Amino acid sequence: MESIFRAAGMYLALMILFRIAGRRSLADLTTFDFVLLLIIGEATQQALLGEDFSFTNAVLVITTLFVLDIGFSLAKLSSLRLSRLMDGQALVVVEEGRFLHTRMRHSRLTEDDILESARSTQGIENVSQIKYAIVERNGTLSFIQRDEE
Amino acid sequence: MTVKEEVSRRQPVEEDMRRQHRAWRFERLGWYGLVLIVVMALAGVFGHGPLSEQSVASVDGRLQVDYQRFSRNGSVENLKIRVKGQPSAQVALLLDGPLVREATIETLQPEPLMSQSQGRALLLHLATDAEGEAALYLSLQYEGIGPLRARARVGSTSAVTFTTFIYP
Repeated sequence: MESIFRAAGMYLALMILFRIAGRRSLADLTTFDFVLLLIIGEATQQALLGEDFSFTNAVLVITTLFVLDIGFSLAKLSSLRLSRLMDGQALVVVEEGRFLHTRMRHSRLTEDDILESARSTQGIENVSQIKYAIVERNGTLSFIQRDEE
Repeated sequence: MTVKEEVSRRQPVEEDMRRQHRAWRFERLGWYGLVLIVVMALAGVFGHGPLSEQSVASVDGRLQVDYQRFSRNGSVENLKIRVKGQPSAQVALLLDGPLVREATIETLQPEPLMSQSQGRALLLHLATDAEGEAALYLSLQYEGIGPLRARARVGSTSAVTFTTFIYP
């Protein structure tokens, strides 16, 4: 019984923490982010398993996490509100070659971040070439180029 | 021409700026919350810090207990109990309460001359030194969750009660 509560509690706590951290934290996995994720995993595992290192306990914990994960994605299918609440929504940060600065500041994105991503993923060299830059729900930036005149 | 950033876009994605603002506000408040948690942890609100280390003495001063006000389920804490009695004699220390009952006693230093159960309490006979003082160092692994009380008593007049809050 206890391991179910442990797993569910940790799932909710991590969900809230990652929601607070915002989308920036998930996108573009740098070496540092990767190490950070490992440390988070390391810190979590003790609290998830407790003193019980049995096979059964591990399976129970993993099953609980799966049940929650699948359950939430099923619930998100039927409720747009829940989906928006848990995943957020896509946001336009560049429109017709213009940076939308207020939105960028709230999303903790700089012009350099956007241009860097544009260069590396789309080969764009100037903001005027961008029709739309969108922060997707998973934190990545996607670009739609302007038509060449 | 100024760009109206507040307006929800329909193209290329469906936006809801009111909801987006709420999400940003949540992130902002959450950030303050996280900083607050770190500051509280440094102060010892979650155990092991200046706010957590406490000492309590009985009215007549015969009995003194150093304990942690906050602890966590499964963590090991030290409890230091000092008793005054007759020089080079024995004192009987009675430990009771859910905090002691629900904990696992990992070590007990120095070994009491005798330890007995008394009802649900633990009765320990300690040897006093030439000044008439006896000290007992316990390390307890706390179980249970929430505020748990413990009571230490020597004789019929000297007693202290203390409470440790145990986080899950």
